[in-house]
Amino acid sequence: MKKNIRYALILLTICAVSTFFLALTNSITAPIIEEMDIQARLKALEAVSGGHEIGEQHDVDGVHYVSYQIDLSDGGNPAGWILGLKTNGYGGEMTLVASYTLDGVMQYAQLLNHSETPGLGKKAEESWYMEKFKNTGGSNPVPTTKAMLSAGDAQAVSGSSVTFTAIAKAIAAGSNYVKGLGGAL
Amino acid sequence: MKLNMNELTKGIFKENPVFIIVLGLCPTLGVSTQVSNALGMSAGVLFVLLFSNLLISALRNFIPDSIHIPAYIVIIASLVTIIELVMHAFVPALYSALGVYLPLIVVNCIILGRAEAFAARNTVMDSILDAIGMSIGFALGLILISVIRELFGSGTISLFAMGNFDGVIRIPWFYNNPIRVMSLAPGALLLMGYLKAFFDWKSARKKG
Repeated sequence: MKKNIRYALILLTICAVSTFFLALTNSITAPIIEEMDIQARLKALEAVSGGHEIGEQHDVDGVHYVSYQIDLSDGGNPAGWILGLKTNGYGGEMTLVASYTLDGVMQYAQLLNHSETPGLGKKAEESWYMEKFKNTGGSNPVPTTKAMLSAGDAQAVSGSSVTFTAIAKAIAAGSNYVKGLGGAL
Repeated sequence: MKLNMNELTKGIFKENPVFIIVLGLCPTLGVSTQVSNALGMSAGVLFVLLFSNLLISALRNFIPDSIHIPAYIVIIASLVTIIELVMHAFVPALYSALGVYLPLIVVNCIILGRAEAFAARNTVMDSILDAIGMSIGFALGLILISVIRELFGSGTISLFAMGNFDGVIRIPWFYNNPIRVMSLAPGALLLMGYLKAFFDWKSARKKG
């Protein structure tokens, strides 16, 4: 009994010291990481806005994949939407932003946070990756399986089917959500 | 104080963690698609191995055998989390490139293996030398694999961007004629097999 208490106290001491150093490191790095995340998100919104004016962000509740929406306008006229999308890839949750026209055609998309495997799913953060979804969601369906891609595109996502399917389903869900809005801002 | 230089040099060639002891193959094969990833992973492993060996050696008489594994894991996981937070804040490009392999240093067999096999039984100074030697050995192995994979797979050598230099050296001919399989997982396994066979042959020849 006495021995077990001694072991517990030793582990508690090691854990307490580790926690102190982790908390110290976190207090130094957290503000820097938060600021970088904000800048990365703003940069991504700018990149997917297609030059339109970016409006206010509104949270979306109860819609699978869609976490928030931002209206896009052109000289005061509605031009489309940016949606914040959440999906699950091979390495866990992925967040991305995608812009749509008022009738749900995907224009631009960019991956924000993810833990996909370098060399495989991680390719999704490169700009060429999202090109295969551009102008889909309207009369062209969003390719949600590799069979719907050209041979070259299918080869490019080879080895990362889970990542591709997760992104494709999120983009397709975003397109359907925008269509459900009926063009209203 | 007399330094036991054998502890430093053994990890580089004689007991190289990648090619001789064959430890830590998951990150070795996973991140070796680019030389810059190999350099970043080597720096991460050096930091974690150095401090874990140092702390575990210093605490070897304080940590009882019955609880040594949870104690080592707490120490190693804390060190990995610290390096992860620091890289995320100050070297975001490298943090992003290493991806999931950075937190996986926690379960890198080299770290726990050296803690168990060496640091828990030897002095702090010998443990530091062992950590440095093993880290250099791991770095050399990782860099060798990544240079070959990136050269043949992409025709480039990726370093870090500085000023006008974008960080990528494009090698003529190889750049226009890449052997794509070398960038993929099968290429890593094939290359590892050939290199392991080569090092085994070299060791056998040395032993006579």
